[in-house]
Amino acid sequence: MRAVYRVAKATYHEGWRRRFLNGILVFAILIIGSSWVFTYLQPGAELKMLIDVGLGSIRFFGMLIAVFLGVRLIPDEIEKRTIYTLLSKPVSRGQFLAGKFFGGLATVISNVALMGITFYVVFAIKAPQFAIPTEEGAPQYSMEFMYANVAKAILMSFLELAVVMGLAVVASVVFSWILAAIFTFFVYFVGQMSEFFGHLADPETGASPAARVILGTIYRIMPHFEIFDVREPILTDVPIVWGYMGRTFGMALIYIGIVLALGYLFFNRREV
Amino acid sequence: MFVSHTREVANIALAIRTEHLTKIYDVGWGRQNVGIDNLTLEVEEGQIFGLVGPNGSGKTTTLKLLLGLIFPTSGNAEVLGMSLDSAAYKSRIGYLPEGPYFYEHLNAPELLRMYGSLFGLRGPDFEKRIQELLELVDMWDRREYRVANYSRGMRQRVGVAQALINEPDLLFFDEPTAGLDPIGAKHIREVILELRERGKTVFLCSHLLKEMEPICDNIAILERGKLITRGSVDELLAGDVTQYRVEARDLDDEIIEQLGDGVAEIIRLDDSCRILFDSREDAFEAATRLEDAGAYLMTVGPDRRTLEEVFIDAVGEEPKDASSVQGS
Ligand SMILES: Nc1ncnc2c1ncn2[C@@H]1O[C@H](COP(=O)(O)OP(=O)(O)OP(=O)(O)O)[C@@H](O)[C@H]1O
Ligand SMILES: [Mg+2]
Repeated sequence: MRAVYRVAKATYHEGWRRRFLNGILVFAILIIGSSWVFTYLQPGAELKMLIDVGLGSIRFFGMLIAVFLGVRLIPDEIEKRTIYTLLSKPVSRGQFLAGKFFGGLATVISNVALMGITFYVVFAIKAPQFAIPTEEGAPQYSMEFMYANVAKAILMSFLELAVVMGLAVVASVVFSWILAAIFTFFVYFVGQMSEFFGHLADPETGASPAARVILGTIYRIMPHFEIFDVREPILTDVPIVWGYMGRTFGMALIYIGIVLALGYLFFNRREV
Repeated sequence: MFVSHTREVANIALAIRTEHLTKIYDVGWGRQNVGIDNLTLEVEEGQIFGLVGPNGSGKTTTLKLLLGLIFPTSGNAEVLGMSLDSAAYKSRIGYLPEGPYFYEHLNAPELLRMYGSLFGLRGPDFEKRIQELLELVDMWDRREYRVANYSRGMRQRVGVAQALINEPDLLFFDEPTAGLDPIGAKHIREVILELRERGKTVFLCSHLLKEMEPICDNIAILERGKLITRGSVDELLAGDVTQYRVEARDLDDEIIEQLGDGVAEIIRLDDSCRILFDSREDAFEAATRLEDAGAYLMTVGPDRRTLEEVFIDAVGEEPKDASSVQGS
């Protein structure tokens, strides 16, 4: 535990020092901070626009940071040979892998927390204005659960990024880091559409049995990233129940567990 | 007498034992690089053991295998009586990698604190140890510098300090003096000797033979992954004791030619000349004559080889800058 914590701590501090990722963070905060400007593009659907741009940016830029940080964590240690002094101390490969994952995740989450706070402030200021109908017939938003829902949506994005981080770190010990980045993006985008593959695999679509097996397999093994997308309940102002959050948390945990275990199997025999 | 002798032999504990240790690197497209080939070695506790060999002979490969950073193709090894799979020996060793590198955002005390914490070390005593270690490698004055701004030699110095953080029983040093200035290098050699004094075992890799010769107890020479010679330094350097040598500078060919009969061999080195004689009397007589003729005398005495010569003999290559001339 001590070793995991120490590796994670060093990784966290080091993670903050990556200029490229700092750049993405600054850019994301600029976009999120000015997300209310975008609302003028869609008169009548300002609140939807605000939430789409804000939460969408958090998920998207968070994902970019998670992938680019995740796929570099271990390759950097190997290329710079900092791993030699660590693994020759009482740090097992499993502890090293876990430490890298948690340290990287802590960096991503603190990055995304900054984006989240920015958005929350913008949202708290702007949303009430948009909720008030300006003229007859303009949408009348109910905002009873909205503040809590937005906060929950940000929490959900932490979970999503933990899964992305796990995928990226593990892919980077199996493939080269570039391939790992491509792989992680691919899984992320296909995972966003996993429900769609599920539908295609349905016998009623008339797909051939072979295609159905493939589509069904994709549906089953891909992480279902859409479960983290909660814009729908926010806009319809239905409370996001803790039960749903808990289930999502559980699924994320299981997925991360499987991915890290696979990563451990690879990394344990990997030469450095 | 005999009984006590065998008991003594049995008592010698081994710090490292390798048996037919082999590492073949796969470099893709069916091509392979030999890292080390069938290496069987024993390193006794409490000694300074030198693994020497030309570039690419497998020194670093051997170290990485012993540290579990890479895995043997075949054969096996034990460190401090534990198999390589056992993580337990890691808490009793220290390792200075070749060209060490550390987290760039840390300074030396932070770095040592991090490494120490991996052994559960902390508190005021440990802080004192950090200061001692950094003073030892002459980095205490520069403790505020971040690794990112280190020179190569500074990284090397901190590398030595981190290898000693847990007071290890066995140290692995890969080219410990690489990149160090002469004073720094001398200092590290003193540290190594002091470690032996305190009963530690030191496993050194280097091709700096002049440095290894005075500090190693035992030496193994590798070439292209194969062990070609091994033994105690005294054995290896004993040389041909039937011969005597005179080494001198500032002499011209004329004087050498006048030396006459006793000369067995003349070896011209870059800035000096070594003349071997079959008898002690001839050697000393020649030495007097050379000195009278204005030469600067460097050594006179029984022919003891240098490690460099042993090495060149074993590896089978003439040094680039020394030509050998057969005496008449
Ligand atoms: N990662 C690797 N992949 C493929 N071949 C390798 C690898 N590492 C080392 N080798 C090969 O193994 C052999 C031994 O290399 P090694 O690094 O052990 O030599 P060395 O004795 O430490 O040399 P040097 O004095 O230059 O440090 C060399 O032929 C080298 O090309
Ligand atoms: Mg080497």
